[in-house]
Amino acid sequence: MAIDGLIILDGSGRPIIQSGYTAYPPAYPLLHIDTLNNALAQVSRESDVDPVLYVGPGIGESLAGSACCHIEVGGGLRMIASISGDEDPLVAFAFLQAFLEILQDYFGAVSTATLRDNFDVVYQLLEETLDSSGHPLTTSPNALRDIVLPPSLLSKLLASVSPSAPTSSSGRNTGGSFGGNGTGAAFASPIPWRKAGVRHNHNEILFDVVEEMRGIVGRNGVTLVSNVWGKIESNAKLSGTPDLLLTFTNPNVLTDCAFHPCVRLQRWTRDKALSFVPPDGRFVLAEYQHTSPSAVVSHLPVPLALKTNIDIGEFGGTVHLTLSSRLSTKELDNVEVELYLGDDASGAQCTTSSAGTGVGSVGGAEGSWSFDSRKKALRWEIPSMRTSGSWVLRGSWTSKSKTPRPAHAVHIRFDIPAYNFSSLKVDQLRLSGENYKMYKGVRGRSLGSIEWRW
Amino acid sequence: MEALNLITFTQNASRLGMRIQESFSEHTRDLSITRGAGSLFDMPDDKLKNIGRQLDSSSDREKLDAMKKLIALVSKGRNVSNYFPQVVKNVASQNLEIRKLVYIYLLRYAEHEPDLALLSINTFQKDLTDSSPLIRAMALRVLSGIKVPMIGSIVVLAIKKCAADISPYVRKAAALAIPKCFQLDPNHQPALIEIISALLRDRSPLSIGSAIIAFEAVCPTRLDLLHRQYRRLCRILVDVDEWGQVDLLNLLMRYARTMLPKPIVPPNSEGSDEELDPDLQLLLSSSDPLFQSKNPAVVLAVARVVYYAGPPSYLPKITGPLLRILGTSQAVERVVLGYLFAITSVHPHLLSSHYLRLLVRTDDAPQVKQDKIRLLINILTLDNYQAVLREFVEYAEDVNDQVVADAINAIGQCARLIPACTHQCLSALMSMLKSKHDIIVSNAVQVLKFLVQNQLLSGTLAPASTSQSPLTIISQLARRIDDIRHPQAKACVLWLVGQYSPTQEGGTVIEGIADWGPDLLRKAAKTFNQEDSLVKLQILTLAAKLFLLCPTDRTLGLLSRYVFSLGRYDTNYDIRDRTRTLTVLLAGISPAINGDDGAEDQGGVVLRREQVMKVLFDGKAGILDDGPRSGDNNALIGSLSLITGKDMHGDTILPEWLELGIEPSLRDSEDDVTPTPAPVQAISSSRIVKSSNATPVVLTPTGNSAPVRDARESFRDLDKFYADDSDKSEEFDSSSAEQDSDAGEEDDDSKEDEESDEERDNDADENEEDGEDVDEEHERQGRHEIQT
Repeated sequence: MAIDGLIILDGSGRPIIQSGYTAYPPAYPLLHIDTLNNALAQVSRESDVDPVLYVGPGIGESLAGSACCHIEVGGGLRMIASISGDEDPLVAFAFLQAFLEILQDYFGAVSTATLRDNFDVVYQLLEETLDSSGHPLTTSPNALRDIVLPPSLLSKLLASVSPSAPTSSSGRNTGGSFGGNGTGAAFASPIPWRKAGVRHNHNEILFDVVEEMRGIVGRNGVTLVSNVWGKIESNAKLSGTPDLLLTFTNPNVLTDCAFHPCVRLQRWTRDKALSFVPPDGRFVLAEYQHTSPSAVVSHLPVPLALKTNIDIGEFGGTVHLTLSSRLSTKELDNVEVELYLGDDASGAQCTTSSAGTGVGSVGGAEGSWSFDSRKKALRWEIPSMRTSGSWVLRGSWTSKSKTPRPAHAVHIRFDIPAYNFSSLKVDQLRLSGENYKMYKGVRGRSLGSIEWRW
Repeated sequence: MEALNLITFTQNASRLGMRIQESFSEHTRDLSITRGAGSLFDMPDDKLKNIGRQLDSSSDREKLDAMKKLIALVSKGRNVSNYFPQVVKNVASQNLEIRKLVYIYLLRYAEHEPDLALLSINTFQKDLTDSSPLIRAMALRVLSGIKVPMIGSIVVLAIKKCAADISPYVRKAAALAIPKCFQLDPNHQPALIEIISALLRDRSPLSIGSAIIAFEAVCPTRLDLLHRQYRRLCRILVDVDEWGQVDLLNLLMRYARTMLPKPIVPPNSEGSDEELDPDLQLLLSSSDPLFQSKNPAVVLAVARVVYYAGPPSYLPKITGPLLRILGTSQAVERVVLGYLFAITSVHPHLLSSHYLRLLVRTDDAPQVKQDKIRLLINILTLDNYQAVLREFVEYAEDVNDQVVADAINAIGQCARLIPACTHQCLSALMSMLKSKHDIIVSNAVQVLKFLVQNQLLSGTLAPASTSQSPLTIISQLARRIDDIRHPQAKACVLWLVGQYSPTQEGGTVIEGIADWGPDLLRKAAKTFNQEDSLVKLQILTLAAKLFLLCPTDRTLGLLSRYVFSLGRYDTNYDIRDRTRTLTVLLAGISPAINGDDGAEDQGGVVLRREQVMKVLFDGKAGILDDGPRSGDNNALIGSLSLITGKDMHGDTILPEWLELGIEPSLRDSEDDVTPTPAPVQAISSSRIVKSSNATPVVLTPTGNSAPVRDARESFRDLDKFYADDSDKSEEFDSSSAEQDSDAGEEDDDSKEDEESDEERDNDADENEEDGEDVDEEHERQGRHEIQT
């Protein structure tokens, strides 16, 4: 048994794209869609739905149940992979993720509109990535681009012009030969993840080192746990078959690494250098974790501090939060503090202020607050936090319940541009196999997602 | 002459003009189509009539348009199989775009319209020799999708042909067509097995994954086909595509457990004396790098190999990677936590030092929170219980009721598993009784009941402070009965009070009964009618017990009789039954309890007080809470059953180890003539002798075998080969490269200047390219260039 089929649902829970399900009765996919929609209707937060839903038997001759594995795609869309038998749900989730990345690669943002505009491409992709017996085929975007042409305006023009070119006799030929050029090279490349014969006018490769800190701080202000999950995203526009060697000055800050298939694993284990022939376009070169180098303290410092004073009374409560940055050099951007106030919360009233932030405090620097009545959460946003000073949110909320049950933790998210927690530093990037000059760029970025208990 | 020329010239010019106009209008028309594809998706029904006409038209564009409309209808869930005959005609179209869409349509409907598909079978067969591998593969896919047993042998022939194709993509398609052909007609099995074993020998790692799928579908028990391929499959594992890796790892694990000798683990050693078969060692060492895959499914498949086929000393290897993939996505986290739970149920020590990675966050999904709590209980040790217990207390304030219940239960489990922390658990639970939230109080009460009962039973009464002794706890519970609203919790308290109110201490109001007992009965009697039937039953039991303890007390007698008469006329027959049982039981002590003054002698056996005591108070021992669920230990790691907790009727079973394994020489192939594969270091010397005895086929004389082997080894691994190669080239040009790159920076800058000059001169129709440049510039912003 394998993946029985794939469905994409729009924001209102109706299917837009649905794979064959040829081996199953027509009601089978509907059963999965209904199971998911029912489960979604029962919870207040969409993320509370179990990602693996059991779908009971009941249709057709099969006595066994099946499972509906689903992920949120963004823009209200959801993707479902139905599996039955004892298939590992991880395969389903890995495939959904891979398919989502392909769609993003082809259409940029995935939304109902882009899917409807390009349904023929989506179907071709589905046909090429998932065998009718439910086994994932090729999911490498480079190989797929050879088979399924991406919907750029230019390619559409060419595809439509050539067959209808004025001179009918030669037009037919050009049409055929064009198609031949476009797809004749399918799987001609000896390297499965890179297409053959790539040409770029400007050769460049850009790296984004994105790190996310996830941590929990206890109610006494002591960090319980904090980990950094890093990712090296890359965008390669290099001609030919470039063989790259990327070295770091401090590779020892990386632990538990995972690599794109193009990376030579043995080389990494031997001398901690990344040797690879990159795919063309965007890809994630590596994922890693960064943990505290010292054995004594098992966590990394959280770059901000929060003082909480939250009182729960009857039918509501009061909030008093004071936030300050602990970084000495960088600014924290897009700081977002969120407190879930419980299902019965009905409203909130707050004031924000900032103190000691210097003379040039611009309007709105102290941030703005809002109450999300759908998620029942109080949200406080500060566009930019300088290194000194403190930001204060004071207010109260009301609840329909006599004993309100807010979450006992405040969730803080933030960005730090041009900064890395691990201070990973690229030493060199060397190119062999081709002799052209290329532009090489590295950019760091850090995100944070901290849970502060009170 | 000139005039003639002029005439032809003007004619040509006008013709050219017309052509330009034509093509222009066609461009714009097509543009509107591409732009308005959304409207194509929502097109009104009357336009559908055109599709048939368009399909028959001679213009490729019309056909393409019609095909797109059809695919749009398919995506709307419409059945458009009635166009099948017209579509199938276009399969021979010269235009590749049309053909691809036609094949997509055919793939979907060929199974429903086998007869019509048969009509064009010649075209499919012809397409098998098309120059494009894409078309060859698609033709085979459609061909194998036609469910007519009659054409079975044609399909087999086609598969055979494609299995020898030069393109690995087509070979892959051939492998995937095999299960379909087998389903159609199992009689073809021998021929198909032949093709499969040819595909398994494939040099390219690209098609291996599909060959494995075919193997599992057609002949999963023919592991003997793998003997000679086993070592090669192990070695190419790294180069197979990620989906193939999952299937291949599962197959190799099955092979290892069926064909290789079980690792010998001496009972009292720490892994140093383990004896591993070299072939098993090969599997483990070649799958190890895949722990670094980005695909969570691959990581799990490797973990399965190590978990089910590796010796115990390898087990710790799986924790790091599994913890890493927890962070991939919420869905993956949910699934992996389920597997970790199953693993830690057997090997708790694997994760106990990593408990910090499993702490619950408030924004986790409820299911994830519950799984994490279960896991934390599993990995509880003397070293981490303090921290974990603190966490559980924290989770008791969660916003989800089920999570609260799990967390408070977990506190009870802590006390049960680590007796040293009982004291802490009790004080935590007692402080929860003051909570304003019903759900916390009622859960705390139920857990307290378990703890108190266990303590009293085991007799390990904490000699500690009196505030923690079980009886004080009960009295406190009795005092807080008004705040406890949850029926089950209330019933719990009532039962506890009744059970443990006998006391030897003097000075109580009623001799032999702790003071709180009768008072609680008084309170309960008042509210009897409003209570849940569960509580009513316990009030009755409490009344009976108290009455039995002191039948002479008048107030108590009256109170009990009142409660019994309420129970006797209750609407619930369960409660009436219980009342009757109890009153009859107590009839020996005081017939008046019946309420009708014993006017009629009911006969039968009348029990004495001691006997009734035994019935009511004894035999209430041993209600230990069930602890962690251990029901589905037979479900495998990496199976759906483990996640859904239901039997998914899967056919994956874990084969039992073979004690001795089969003869290793069977696995020798022409690839590795060398007697024993490289990794021999972990094997004891006696083992080497044994295995070299077992493989007598040594073709190269021992004298010069060493250099030969070295050469082979360095070429066996593609990566190593490349690595060595690149090393050399780097060394060769490293000095020049550094100079180059310095110069390169300047070059880059100057080049960009030139480009910007060019851009200004560019025509308007190259705007698109310009836009790209701007994007690039934008992307480069914020990045600093690598200084080499």
